[in-house]
Amino acid sequence: MGSVLDVVLSTAFFAAILGVSTPYVLAALGGLLAERAGVPNIALEGSMLSAACAGALVAGYSGSVWAGAVCGIAAGSLLALLLGVLHLYLGADAIIAGIGLNLLAAGATSYTVFALLGDKGGTSRLHSGALPSLRLPLIEDIPGVGAVLSGQNVLTWAALAATPVVAWLLYRTRFGFHLRAVGEHPEAARSVGIHVHRVQFRALALSGALAGAAGVFLSMGAVSFFVTGMTAGRGYIALAAVFLGALRPWGVFLAALGFGTAEALAVQLGNLDVPGQLVSAIPYVFTLLALAFFAWRRRRASRTDAAPAPLTGPPVLESP
Amino acid sequence: MTSTMEPAAEQRELPETRDRREFLATRRRTVAVELTMTVLTVAVAVLIAFLVVLATGKDAGGALDALLTGPLERTPRIGRWLADATTLSLLGLSVAIPFRARQISLGAEGQVYAGALASALVAINLHLPPVAAVLVPLGAAALAGGALGAVPGVMKARLGANEIVATLMLNAVVVRVFDYLLTDHLKAPGSSAVQSAPVRPDSALPLLSNFFEVPLDQANIGLFGMLAVAAAVWFLLARTPLGYRIRVTGSNPDFARYGGLDVPRTIEWSFVIGGALAGLAGAHLALGIYGGLQPDMAGGLAFEGIVVALLGRNNPVGVVAAALLYSYLRVGGDVMEQQTDVGSDAVTIIQAVIVLLVTARALPELVKRYLARREAR
Repeated sequence: MGSVLDVVLSTAFFAAILGVSTPYVLAALGGLLAERAGVPNIALEGSMLSAACAGALVAGYSGSVWAGAVCGIAAGSLLALLLGVLHLYLGADAIIAGIGLNLLAAGATSYTVFALLGDKGGTSRLHSGALPSLRLPLIEDIPGVGAVLSGQNVLTWAALAATPVVAWLLYRTRFGFHLRAVGEHPEAARSVGIHVHRVQFRALALSGALAGAAGVFLSMGAVSFFVTGMTAGRGYIALAAVFLGALRPWGVFLAALGFGTAEALAVQLGNLDVPGQLVSAIPYVFTLLALAFFAWRRRRASRTDAAPAPLTGPPVLESP
Repeated sequence: MTSTMEPAAEQRELPETRDRREFLATRRRTVAVELTMTVLTVAVAVLIAFLVVLATGKDAGGALDALLTGPLERTPRIGRWLADATTLSLLGLSVAIPFRARQISLGAEGQVYAGALASALVAINLHLPPVAAVLVPLGAAALAGGALGAVPGVMKARLGANEIVATLMLNAVVVRVFDYLLTDHLKAPGSSAVQSAPVRPDSALPLLSNFFEVPLDQANIGLFGMLAVAAAVWFLLARTPLGYRIRVTGSNPDFARYGGLDVPRTIEWSFVIGGALAGLAGAHLALGIYGGLQPDMAGGLAFEGIVVALLGRNNPVGVVAAALLYSYLRVGGDVMEQQTDVGSDAVTIIQAVIVLLVTARALPELVKRYLARREAR
């Protein structure tokens, strides 16, 4: 047991937590923006995957990691905008369309990689490089914290910075006010002259860009190549973090950090003969319990004043 | 006065008879329109993929030929097609039932693993008489899947929890537990690969090639089992009180509530039955396709069940037809990859376009309006 504690309390482990949590934090913040604007963005997974692929490919062919990062983020954003077009203009169910877009991203990325490189597995033969890691002279000198933060990838820093920025955007800006209004009551927002669809489109673009940054981190930060299907369901987990964090930026950040911690722990304990799969399942069990608890509390609160939330959404598809 | 008089024959006809006739005529028309739309959707999706392949400078003609004629060229391919369609039909039906009650369950993945695990555990460890050796594992799989479906069902129906997040979380848990049990406890001794011991021969689903004297790969009598299940689902939805409750809850929840139907219980049952069917799909994989447990054995199948349910308009007959069509494309994709330089992922693109076209409900309306405007010009 002593060895477990040694590992868990080391600075290297805390540094690993930040690395593993980065994609969750970025994608979950993206999911939060879309959710608060009233469009559930289940296409986070697809945004991440297409960004990871586009980033590695562009970086590999152009030789510039920054060009790759920009193109990756743009690809993630584009997929979210496609969700916007389908849901807002073509009347598609947001969840089903999101699943369709995730399928599209999975198919298109591995098709493209195979067509360009003749390798179904990924882009490992294309030496695309990774985004640099960042050492800040002042922070590096802080005892304890400095060793954890120093040398983290640029995008990990971006993830840490993104949480206060998203909080500021949501609660302190005109755009954030409109975004929340649109998400809470679109009719009311429309009646005071807010352009509902425009606000939702912008929220989705930002959402996809954040998920794109998460994807770019996977293929150009954690490793320096793209592997088909490398997101492995992280987008769906990020979506759960949005709900576990009770739709608030810092709550979402902590939830994403929790998922990252459990995953980092599972990797570490795997070396120590503790079943890593079970450790990594803990946060999902916890999320299920939290989901039930939140719902129960909401239901109990609503029983006294208003009618409970409807149990049924829009019809999935009318059948003849 | 004489002008309003109707002919004697029409007068004797009961209003109910006339209503019924009109209803049937409308339904026939709707079915015809839906069928045309479905075929059109698939054709457009294939066309888009064809253009993508063409744009990437590959042999698009050869690829299309392999995709569309490949599966029928050899009997083992036909067998693979039928086996794949069996799993996909069960998954499509499992998604379609909650869909009919307006519930989006994404839990099929976890339920498939639970069903595979339960059926394989029984089939590896228990000595059973011949017929029971097949039926008991199937029952265990349905129970496991149904129990797993009950969790998000109860959470949604009693507490109003978001069923999408609940099912996704449950998938994440079950997949990890499955992985743990397989690698740490069920791995066959002496085997270097991570896979369980094979199921007892009595429990394996009998292969169709034993009956038809042609090589049919893994196709097994699960195919007929699936057809029976589809018929049962049709009967459930169309002819039983529970099916009526599911349909009313889905088509008009307010009416269901004011009409005194127990909406929460109906929702719970839709999840449980859906889960049981996904569990059966898992049993088909474990007892019919792989003959044991393997890591990642469900692959991305669970989400493809959603595609099949959508394409089949949540209708049991439609779902089976959609699954046959869909797995034909999957097998064709593999043939295409073997014979040409086009990857089988082109089929995933076709699938994605199908989903997006089917769910974009306003699209036909927009196309119609656009055509009308052009005609007016």
